[in-house]
Amino acid sequence: MNTATTRLAARRLIVLGILLSLWEVLARFGLLNPFYVPPPSKVAATLFALFADGEIWTHIEATFGAALLGLTLGVIVGAILGVAAALLPLVGEILDPTMTVLNAVPRIILAPLFVIWFGIGIASKVAVTFVLIAVLFFFAVYAGIKEVDQRLVERVKTLGGGRAVLLREVYLPAVTAWALSNLKIAVGFAFTGAVVGEFVASSRGLGYLLSFAQSTYNASLTLALLLLIMVFVFVLFALAGRVENRLLRWR
Amino acid sequence: MLDVSGLTLSYGAEPVLEGADLRVDAGQFVSLVGPSGSGKSSLLRAIIGLQRPNAGTVTCDLGRGDLGILFQDDALLPWRTALENVALGLRIRGKPRPRAHDEAEAWLGRLGLTGFGERFPRALSGGQRKRVALAQVLALRPRLLLMDEPFAALDAIVRHRITQDLLDLVEGERISVLLVTHDLEEALVLSDIVYLLGQGPRARIRQRYAVPISRPRDIMKARTNPSFAPLLERLWQDLSAEVDLIRRVA
Repeated sequence: MNTATTRLAARRLIVLGILLSLWEVLARFGLLNPFYVPPPSKVAATLFALFADGEIWTHIEATFGAALLGLTLGVIVGAILGVAAALLPLVGEILDPTMTVLNAVPRIILAPLFVIWFGIGIASKVAVTFVLIAVLFFFAVYAGIKEVDQRLVERVKTLGGGRAVLLREVYLPAVTAWALSNLKIAVGFAFTGAVVGEFVASSRGLGYLLSFAQSTYNASLTLALLLLIMVFVFVLFALAGRVENRLLRWR
Repeated sequence: MLDVSGLTLSYGAEPVLEGADLRVDAGQFVSLVGPSGSGKSSLLRAIIGLQRPNAGTVTCDLGRGDLGILFQDDALLPWRTALENVALGLRIRGKPRPRAHDEAEAWLGRLGLTGFGERFPRALSGGQRKRVALAQVLALRPRLLLMDEPFAALDAIVRHRITQDLLDLVEGERISVLLVTHDLEEALVLSDIVYLLGQGPRARIRQRYAVPISRPRDIMKARTNPSFAPLLERLWQDLSAEVDLIRRVA
């Protein structure tokens, strides 16, 4: 890391520190109502307590399980449908308008329906996450194939390449690039799907805890959970970013 | 080696190009010049088989594998390194990876790109990318090279250098060339034969000029050859006459 980025990071940390201190002081002196805005120290203590009694793990596991399962299924099914729609005109004719409609509506509104269909267990959360991500990936792959640079296709053909070579050397890398650039968005979607699914109806998960915290007017628990979810998403963002940089280093 | 006879090509009702005759003999460098819209590129595409002729024939005693093709806008695979891009054609032809990479490395060297093999196209300049594309084509040892304004997008100095290198290589390897260009000087400096295509639509081959400059050529020195200036003037006048003729009609 060079000095410029270190300095920038340092400045940002200082600003964050000042804001947190200000918040702490204002809350302590009663200028902010601690019932609504508990001081950072209280939020930190709540967070610590969550981990200390160990019960949080079952909730983390539930949310992560639903998010990652939905993400995986959504990526796979979305990609397969995208390939099918791009290569088979009939499938494309059917899927293109369907997916466009699904893409236009906020798919998260399907959550209550999925709870009715699949119950309050993990299945309904996976379904919400799945439907968010499958549509996203469908378009990533569909567009990736349809918008492949025709000059590259012609080039490989003039070098004597057939379908197999075209697929391996042109289509697959092009689609991978599109898919990977959507991976970060997908990670965000995965948590949105899982947590909102848990809001609607559940017995476990960070969304369930959040809903519980909200119904008991527990602001410090709510803030602690928000912080936790943000940290998880940031970590996964960073991981997705690393995968992206590694695989797309040619960019 | 390549014989085009009575070739007519059309996109709509009216032919772009009509009754074109053209020959490339073994070891010859042939250029095709003409105004924009005269169907120069279409003619090349028809030879490659990318466009169906409406009439006439293209006879070529070479296999598809003996043709090397280089266009202005052809691209390298952005996700492959320079070396992998050059090796691509060799691997398509069934050469095992290590051998293909050795040969590709050697061709990069011959085009002055030693040490650039691991770079992705993004990290190369326009001229370097063009050299990689050239290496990719030449590595397949073509007997006839078909080119359509291959260096048009490059700046003057880079273009000069790469053109000279290309000329040295095709002279050394005795590769026949058919070059489509609108640069009359370039055509004369490089070619043994220059064909002038008239103004389209219904463009026809108007003239065939033999260029009596000895080989190997230096593209700067070729311009000082006594036959260069008169030929350029003739070519220029013939081309102007073509363009003017159409202007008057229109």
